[in-house]
Amino acid sequence: MSRFILLSPARAALWRRIPASAMLLVLIALACIFGPLFTSHPFDRVYPDYVLAPPSLEPSPNASEARDAVEELAARLGAKIVSMDSTGDSVAAKFSSDRTIDAAALAALPRSDRIGPPRINSSGDGGQNVGLNIPLLRTVFPFGADANGRDLLTRTLIAGRVSLAVGLLASLVALVIGVLYGAIAGYAGGAVDALMMRIVEIIYALPFIFFVIVLVMVFGRHFVLIFIAIGAVEWLDMARIARGQTLALKEKDYVAAARALGASPAAIIRRHILPNASGPIIAYLTLLLPRVILLESFISFLGLGVQEPLASWGVLIADGARNIQGALHLLFFPALFLGATLGALQSFGQYLQAIFADAHVGLESEPR
Amino acid sequence: MPQRALARILAAAATLFVVIALSFFLMRLAPGGPFDSERPLDPKIAENLRRIYRLDLPLWRQFLFYLQSLAQGDFGPSLHWRDFSVNELFAHALPISMRLGAEALSVALLVGGALGAIGASTGAGLRQKLGAFAVDAAALIGVILPAFVIAPLMQLLFGLTWRILPVGGWEDGAWRNQILPVATLALPQIAIVARLMQTSLRDVLAEPHIRTLRAFGLPPRHIYAHALRAAILPTLSYLGLAAANLLTGSVIVETIFGIPGMGRYFVDGAIGRDYTLVMGTVVVVAALVIAFNLLVDLAYAWLDPRIAESASR
Repeated sequence: MSRFILLSPARAALWRRIPASAMLLVLIALACIFGPLFTSHPFDRVYPDYVLAPPSLEPSPNASEARDAVEELAARLGAKIVSMDSTGDSVAAKFSSDRTIDAAALAALPRSDRIGPPRINSSGDGGQNVGLNIPLLRTVFPFGADANGRDLLTRTLIAGRVSLAVGLLASLVALVIGVLYGAIAGYAGGAVDALMMRIVEIIYALPFIFFVIVLVMVFGRHFVLIFIAIGAVEWLDMARIARGQTLALKEKDYVAAARALGASPAAIIRRHILPNASGPIIAYLTLLLPRVILLESFISFLGLGVQEPLASWGVLIADGARNIQGALHLLFFPALFLGATLGALQSFGQYLQAIFADAHVGLESEPR
Repeated sequence: MPQRALARILAAAATLFVVIALSFFLMRLAPGGPFDSERPLDPKIAENLRRIYRLDLPLWRQFLFYLQSLAQGDFGPSLHWRDFSVNELFAHALPISMRLGAEALSVALLVGGALGAIGASTGAGLRQKLGAFAVDAAALIGVILPAFVIAPLMQLLFGLTWRILPVGGWEDGAWRNQILPVATLALPQIAIVARLMQTSLRDVLAEPHIRTLRAFGLPPRHIYAHALRAAILPTLSYLGLAAANLLTGSVIVETIFGIPGMGRYFVDGAIGRDYTLVMGTVVVVAALVIAFNLLVDLAYAWLDPRIAESASR
């Protein structure tokens, strides 16, 4: 409500025109950046007791899991359960055993993900009849747990960080290469332009994913390498767009004026052409992002990308595909995040493109 | 026209050469050689091995030798499957991949073309609206559901839940084993072809010569036949890219469905650092794509006389 007070009516209208796709993107990005701080699980913490736990908003262990945990505890102590009484956060139980149950015996127990270390409330018959207070550990797995017992929500968000970061950085690499190449070709014109664009046309047809994989294989599966490799093969469209813009803009009077004043070609491209071409370039950058994110997921899906324990959405989806029978949530949640991001980026990119198409400066429309 | 074709063929050959050179030198840049192992080899044996595989020669001579053996159609021994040469692996894998790709491309052209043609007809009728909706839905699915999500879902539905199709395997190309892989490969291409056909057919249907045909009172069947010839051109020029996309997709599809094709050998080779196998795959795949693009180029000029004319002028 306060935003309508803060913003002038015109601004408020602009706010309402921000498409849902952009809001969804901001939401996903914020969730991935800050979400892992609040999920109360480190992304690589393993809970052996919760392998493939189904998604649930109920804290684990539930009543029957708590009973199982207490029975397991009794079995480890060689004791029989005399009585058991659950009181929300803890279980009060009475055990009887042939052996002595004391602090030393309890300290020797293996760590459990379901219950904390039990405390002795009362002890009789030389420690053979004890009343124990067993605290229940309350953990929540909203998206369930993976095949190693790691919280899927945290992992999905962390993977989102990796996927988005690789996407952004690789797009930036493609932006730099493509814009430089395209602007130089467009500004130079003539034979240079023809040759440079012919090269683009030729390599356009090559299946570059194979080169990315070869690069990754040869130089190791490093995070930095992955985005440089992807960026280095995805700049072709960007070069075409930058060239088209440059071709149109270099005929403008202010460029002629700058040239008359003795500005160098580099300065003209940097100061006059690129700022004016930024609209369509940004629109295309938004459309490039989903392709790059998809490419990274593709590589990671094959096991050639980001390595454990770090993950990207492709890694998680590969996990999900392996466990599809019985643990569909492992595929569903990462695929949901990936799909939502791809769809939102595509839709937002088209929205930007439509905006800049109104103010465009003769984007060529030759068939690819 | 022949001049143009010649130029295209030369460019294709040059591209292939660049691809071969690029992958050769990339491989040689890799740290560590194929004979490095946990236990260092006896220096004498290592030297012999290097001599047998000609690794002791200067790089440019190694490259010439590689080109020479490639020209004879020899890709060398596989470093991972020690008992096989890369040629033997390809002899088995290449027909499988090409068959999958050809089937997926046909399905994509038929289904996508039909979808696009239905979606292009403008009007307020239910059929037109459904057609346009189907194209939009296909495009959306093509964006948000990548092949590596669709494939496991289809395995779960058709293979595990309903048990009507095998989850994977090839079985020497039994038709039941081909349905899911071909569908997975074709789906994204269907979305693209449908969109291309829809937009171009819409544009063509609005042109004066089609209006003239309408004014003559020709039945819609005939009008469509005329319009389709012009409207197919953008789809045709997409085919080159489609070939590259299909080969990329085959990597995923063959891995997921366990099909012994080129894509799977490529991934296994990349994970196992089988340099000769990976390089051979890159060269074969690039050659395929380049050849296909060349064919598309020539077919385009044949279908669209304007191009041949502008080239001869």
